[in-house]
Amino acid sequence: MKKLPIPRPLLQSAALLGVLLLLVAVFGVASRNFLQAKTFTTIANQIPDLTCVAVGMTLVLIIGGIDLSVGAVLAVSSAVLGVLMFDYKWSLEAATLFCLLTGALCGLFNGTVSVGMRIPAFIVTLGMMEIARGTAKLLMDSQIKFIGKPVEPISKPLAGLGISPAFLIAIATVIVAQFVLTRTVFGRYCVAIGSNAEAVRMSGIRVAPYSISVFVISGFLAGVAGLIHTSRLSSADPNAAVGLELPAIAACVIGGTSLMGGRGNVVNSFLGVLIIRVLQTGLAHLGTNDAMKQVITGAVIVAAVVFDALRQRWDDSSE
Amino acid sequence: MPTCRLKWFWILALVTVVGCGTSEIETQTARPSAGSEPSEKPRVALIMKSLANEFFSTMAAGAESHQKEHAGDYELIVNGIKDERDLSRQVALVEEMVAAGVDAIVIAPADSKALVPALRRAKDAGVVVVNIDNRLDTEVLQQEEVAIPFVGPDNKAGAKKVGAHLATTLQKGDKVAVLEGIRTSFNGTQRRLGFEEAMAEAGIEIVDSQSAEWEMSIANTIAAAMLSEHPEIKAILAANDSMALGAIAAVKASDRADNVQIVGFDNITAVQQAIRDRAILATADQHWDQLAVFGIEAALKLLADPNATAEDVETPVDLITAESLGE
Repeated sequence: MKKLPIPRPLLQSAALLGVLLLLVAVFGVASRNFLQAKTFTTIANQIPDLTCVAVGMTLVLIIGGIDLSVGAVLAVSSAVLGVLMFDYKWSLEAATLFCLLTGALCGLFNGTVSVGMRIPAFIVTLGMMEIARGTAKLLMDSQIKFIGKPVEPISKPLAGLGISPAFLIAIATVIVAQFVLTRTVFGRYCVAIGSNAEAVRMSGIRVAPYSISVFVISGFLAGVAGLIHTSRLSSADPNAAVGLELPAIAACVIGGTSLMGGRGNVVNSFLGVLIIRVLQTGLAHLGTNDAMKQVITGAVIVAAVVFDALRQRWDDSSE
Repeated sequence: MPTCRLKWFWILALVTVVGCGTSEIETQTARPSAGSEPSEKPRVALIMKSLANEFFSTMAAGAESHQKEHAGDYELIVNGIKDERDLSRQVALVEEMVAAGVDAIVIAPADSKALVPALRRAKDAGVVVVNIDNRLDTEVLQQEEVAIPFVGPDNKAGAKKVGAHLATTLQKGDKVAVLEGIRTSFNGTQRRLGFEEAMAEAGIEIVDSQSAEWEMSIANTIAAAMLSEHPEIKAILAANDSMALGAIAAVKASDRADNVQIVGFDNITAVQQAIRDRAILATADQHWDQLAVFGIEAALKLLADPNATAEDVETPVDLITAESLGE
């Protein structure tokens, strides 16, 4: 068996970067003002919430689970933040604590019910999606709350740098998660659980605490995304991030994470997020009509996955 | 017996999912002195779009408080759908209300065309039908040979008012962008046309016009792209207030808050604050808490007088600015 000279995830990152550069080049040629620093700082400041959610989703997918509730958990965390800051005039710091706690608790519920009772995560998180969305609407009486300045510091671009603290939080999340996944026992166990949970159990390791932790992490990161989302729009919206689970899953899959578990890479998921958002912003620059936007976005997702599958088959046959 | 237990979990899970399905109907019944006497009062069914949307929940709340004040005159059943685009659920609701034997249906159709056949069947069954919020398509109504009165505001005129007010702060030849609603919706089209007319009359050019599907964060993304693609933009006209809030964030993020004006439509609570903060210049108030009430009143009138002809009723739309909010 010939060993590949370059590790597979790195090869994949290079391929994704290629796709990304290709998109940037196409939009740069096709539109008048796409290729400028401001476009990229704008994109940077718009991706943190999706990035956090995609990082959590990557980990959940790696252990062979799925989390459909991320968008709704984002909304309920944002609702808690909004109610505390708008109705009770809490400080950003204090409200943030409860916002993140809300996310983590939702994740804990997903984890304990699906892992503890061995119910497919698909069903449990589907239920959570409804519970969290409904709770968000109840908390906010189905109204948008405009919080304004007090919540803005997290998403306000840093002077001279043009990017927001939220972006830095997202990047830090990616780096920490990638480190945990590849360099710690916890990360190794996650991959092992996703590949063959029974084998892990046979070797005397309790699977449940690890799996539940991963769901808690995903919920917590959805809470972080809720904080960032609220800050960026200065408002808490009970209908925020409806359907966010789909671009998050798409980003992971574009980044080569397997829906069957056991394979995934946080940095590549982040590249997946970038591809999705560059596409979105580029199409908005061109003023493409929304039906066409959908068609193109869908086509790029399928093309990226097909490309990945082909590359993998080629890898396997050359081994 | 682990397999047996697993089976039970599956059944439980299924029940949960089915439960989720039925909970899509948000039903609120306001029935005064239910069951005490067989009432002769007319029963009016109000069928809304999503009651989770502030707009429709406020409309429904307005209708419910109106019913409480006129408890002797009619009974009210309020129904909504979970997702604004869930046409089939709304058609089913119309059919269920007809089967439930209501006397009148007041409906905010999720689609201006697809609901017409179901409403024609309701009318054929002897139910009085009044259309509110989203106007049914005239051509389809003719095709189906049915007349359904529309009671509601003129969105195009309202948007034109907002646009004209914005134009007073701009100069001829200035450039602006429009954030449209969902393109298939009647209100979205009317508001866009109103904006376009106002801009054309003032000699202001619309350089970019895209749909942000009524949503705040989509509007944020699109507005940000518009601002960097067309740095010359002096104003953004949003077809609803959620999108206007998304545009504020985009303008702030690109440091253009001082030289880009934003206008919206609907006058939701969150936007009033933004108007006071001068982040939004103006919006339009179509008195949406009363929109369902106007429809119910029209339906009651038709029920009281069987010979009355079903005529459209236009309800008022007002311009809201910092001045009109009293500051």
